[in-house]
Amino acid sequence: MKTIFKTLIASAAFAPALLWAGEFTLPAYEKHQLDNGLTLYTLEQHEVPLVDLVLVVKSGAVLDDKPGQAKLTAASLLLGTQALDKAAFESKLEFVGATITADADLESSILSASFASKDQAMVMQLVRDAILTPAFDQDEFDKLKQRYTATLMQKTESPKAVIKDYFNDLLFQGHAYSALVDGSKDSVESIGLQDLKDFHQAWFRPDNAALIVTGDIDSKKIKQQVQALFANWQGQAKQKPLLAKPSTPTKTKVLLVDKPDAIESTFMIGGPGVDRNNPDYVAIQVVNTILGGRFTSWLNDELRVNAGLTYGARSQFDSLGMGGSFYMSTFTKTETTKEAMELALKTYNKLWSQGIDAATLASAKAYVKGQFPPKYETSGQLANLLAEMFVYGFDENFINSFSVKVNSLNTEKAKDIIHHYFPRENLQTVVVGKADAIKDAVATFGELEQRSIQ
Amino acid sequence: MKSTKFGALLFFIALCNPLGAMAMKDEVQSFQLKNGMKFLVLEDRSIPNANAYLFWRVGSRNEYPGITGLSHFFEHMMFNGAKKYGPKEFDRVMEAAGGSNNAYTNENLTVYTDWFPAEQLDLMFELEADRIAHLAIDPQMVESERGVVMSERSTGLENSNFRAIWEEVKGAAFRAHPYSWSVIGHESDIANWSLQDLVDYHKTYYAPNNAVVVVAGDVEFEQVKALATKHFGPIPAQQQPREIHTVEPEQKGERRVYLHKASVSSPNIMMAFHVPSASHPDYYALSMLADILATGKTSRLQQTLVFDKELASNIFAYFPESIDPNLFYLYAVAAPNVSAQTLEQGIIEELQKIKQEGVAQEELVKIKNRKLVDFYREMATINGKANTIGTYEMYFGDYRALFNAPQAFDKVTADDIKRVATTYLRKANRTVGVLAAQEDSNENDL
Repeated sequence: MKTIFKTLIASAAFAPALLWAGEFTLPAYEKHQLDNGLTLYTLEQHEVPLVDLVLVVKSGAVLDDKPGQAKLTAASLLLGTQALDKAAFESKLEFVGATITADADLESSILSASFASKDQAMVMQLVRDAILTPAFDQDEFDKLKQRYTATLMQKTESPKAVIKDYFNDLLFQGHAYSALVDGSKDSVESIGLQDLKDFHQAWFRPDNAALIVTGDIDSKKIKQQVQALFANWQGQAKQKPLLAKPSTPTKTKVLLVDKPDAIESTFMIGGPGVDRNNPDYVAIQVVNTILGGRFTSWLNDELRVNAGLTYGARSQFDSLGMGGSFYMSTFTKTETTKEAMELALKTYNKLWSQGIDAATLASAKAYVKGQFPPKYETSGQLANLLAEMFVYGFDENFINSFSVKVNSLNTEKAKDIIHHYFPRENLQTVVVGKADAIKDAVATFGELEQRSIQ
Repeated sequence: MKSTKFGALLFFIALCNPLGAMAMKDEVQSFQLKNGMKFLVLEDRSIPNANAYLFWRVGSRNEYPGITGLSHFFEHMMFNGAKKYGPKEFDRVMEAAGGSNNAYTNENLTVYTDWFPAEQLDLMFELEADRIAHLAIDPQMVESERGVVMSERSTGLENSNFRAIWEEVKGAAFRAHPYSWSVIGHESDIANWSLQDLVDYHKTYYAPNNAVVVVAGDVEFEQVKALATKHFGPIPAQQQPREIHTVEPEQKGERRVYLHKASVSSPNIMMAFHVPSASHPDYYALSMLADILATGKTSRLQQTLVFDKELASNIFAYFPESIDPNLFYLYAVAAPNVSAQTLEQGIIEELQKIKQEGVAQEELVKIKNRKLVDFYREMATINGKANTIGTYEMYFGDYRALFNAPQAFDKVTADDIKRVATTYLRKANRTVGVLAAQEDSNENDL
């Protein structure tokens, strides 16, 4: 494969925005609120006979009492309902080729289903039951915990799977954003079925949730069905504790995570980012495209193309409600760890020492606009966009101003963006690798702490 | 492994609805240039973008010891400079025009993918034609690219257990056919192939008569034809590449491999059975057997081994399309404190059940339903469409095979499933690989 850039960018919180030369616009959608507070979004798209249904709740792992609680609560919603046990629930969906997933991140919990439009009524009933009347069966929960713990152990086999957890822990120390979304073996061990019921009881409430139905649907009919199925969903979500802005690190730190059989070093270097509603969000994405958001970006060009040190190097901003993170990330063979880290930092410093010229900026602007429409091509992608709009409180105005915002960026403004938003001091670094071989080298990059991979 | 994530690797083609398929049948248009380069075009105005998927008939099956991994390495070199657009220019020019690209290599094919605003088609073809006709192989670029590919190889082995054991299983299952080595190749070959190897490879395989190009998106057929003729028409055809005539001798006894990796938390097992190529009539029954075994939580292996007996924490089947006879894989990760042996026995018992008792009609209907919905999922994007059309053209000899697939799947009976299970899922025909943390050495042995 030439590059893993595509998948990497897809996983980033890339600017949902649009309007491409006036030709590409967000398809019309409708937004309603039921009397119980539930928000309903519908968006019709009839290209293929498929429907996507998303139920999103504005509560995630930052509200965990025990790490892993939100994640396990979401997973437990697929273990059967009060009407159907797990096997019957799964059989009904899988027999018609429907897929269903449930997951939580820091600030939301999401249940998503994809299915043929002819099965819409049946699937919506099952989703309703999963959300409102889950089985919460003790035996199934115990088995889920066993399976889940095994996947946590397997996660430690891959540096790429764990490094972001360590980075968040280092960057957001003391803040709820340092929450370990997946939990640890010990925290999961301490979670009981009651913890899941508590989380569900507190946050899976209509005033805290949105139902999104997109694809080959009749919006009018959906409205009636949702009214019939969800109107009796009652209660209000608990008051959420006020979340402060994360503080800025005051020391340059390096966390070395030892994996004794590592054959390469995987690292992230970064600092505070921006919140999802930052007015410069789009401009920041364009500047980051130049630094590390595409194949010809500075980081990939220096570390991969010129030096041959890695298969890929990149940078990105991950944005949340009250703040976020910025990080550069790559991997290289154990022997070239220091060289690659130095080159990443040296390249990063070009943002200030060299700045961005007009031609490079023009290229990045064309790139983000040209690559934009395929991000919102399917009903599933559109459903996820609407969910993000609900969780972070933005609307189509943000979407429709995308190209205007991209177009308005000039080199002066880009310079301001760099100075305001790209962290320059007190960078935080995580390296996962063979500690014996690289400890001395990585210690030169900041105050060192070492842990074992787990 | 040369594709993206494993999930995307699981064969996706397969649809059971003649209506859905027929609608698209009329929409695909094709033409062939005088030099043999073939184009398939699908007009689709859902977004103002288009793509070009260039399928080349060259993969690791075209290699031999000493140049293993060269197909994949070559894929990288195609981005490192040609006549009009020098080193780095291909990507720079494409990205500045709002386009992006990627590429992948597997055992059978090398595929280049360009995604771009539809009005940039002219430029995309110009960029592609430049590197097909006039690739410049710069010795310095070759050296730095060796480092990139070494890193790609090691990051795969570091982060993917599947990849680590896959190499070993392939090596044991094939002793004659080039499917024996991994697509990324042996480390020593990556370090040592020569400039001349690269020059020869380009001349032999990157000839217009060895390619099929699929274009899908907001384009017009006549415009594609005119631009293709302008840019690719002048590139001369070459002699057909040498046929791959090696046939893997029949396996007549089980083969086993073991791989030690200290950080593995529980054993991983890969079981691989020799099966025929995609063009064989049994392809359809085998494809459905793979789904019956491991697609979805209600599939046999997941239901029994993950949820009921709790022997595995994860299990899947992998049955890739293939030009030559290849392997049907089962992959399982043991649950904590379950031995590789117990897990293996659990899998064997489930396979035995299908061989003895067959499958229920309802299981067949479930799989056919799933294949239909999956087909629509592919058709939801211009990329899914281009990839599916090209895949059928390359593996089944004609993109129109896509439209016969519904009947082919529909014709598969419960007896067919039992028959292919009995024919291919035999001990003597399998290779078993175990990856585990325990060292393969002890005081009672050596």
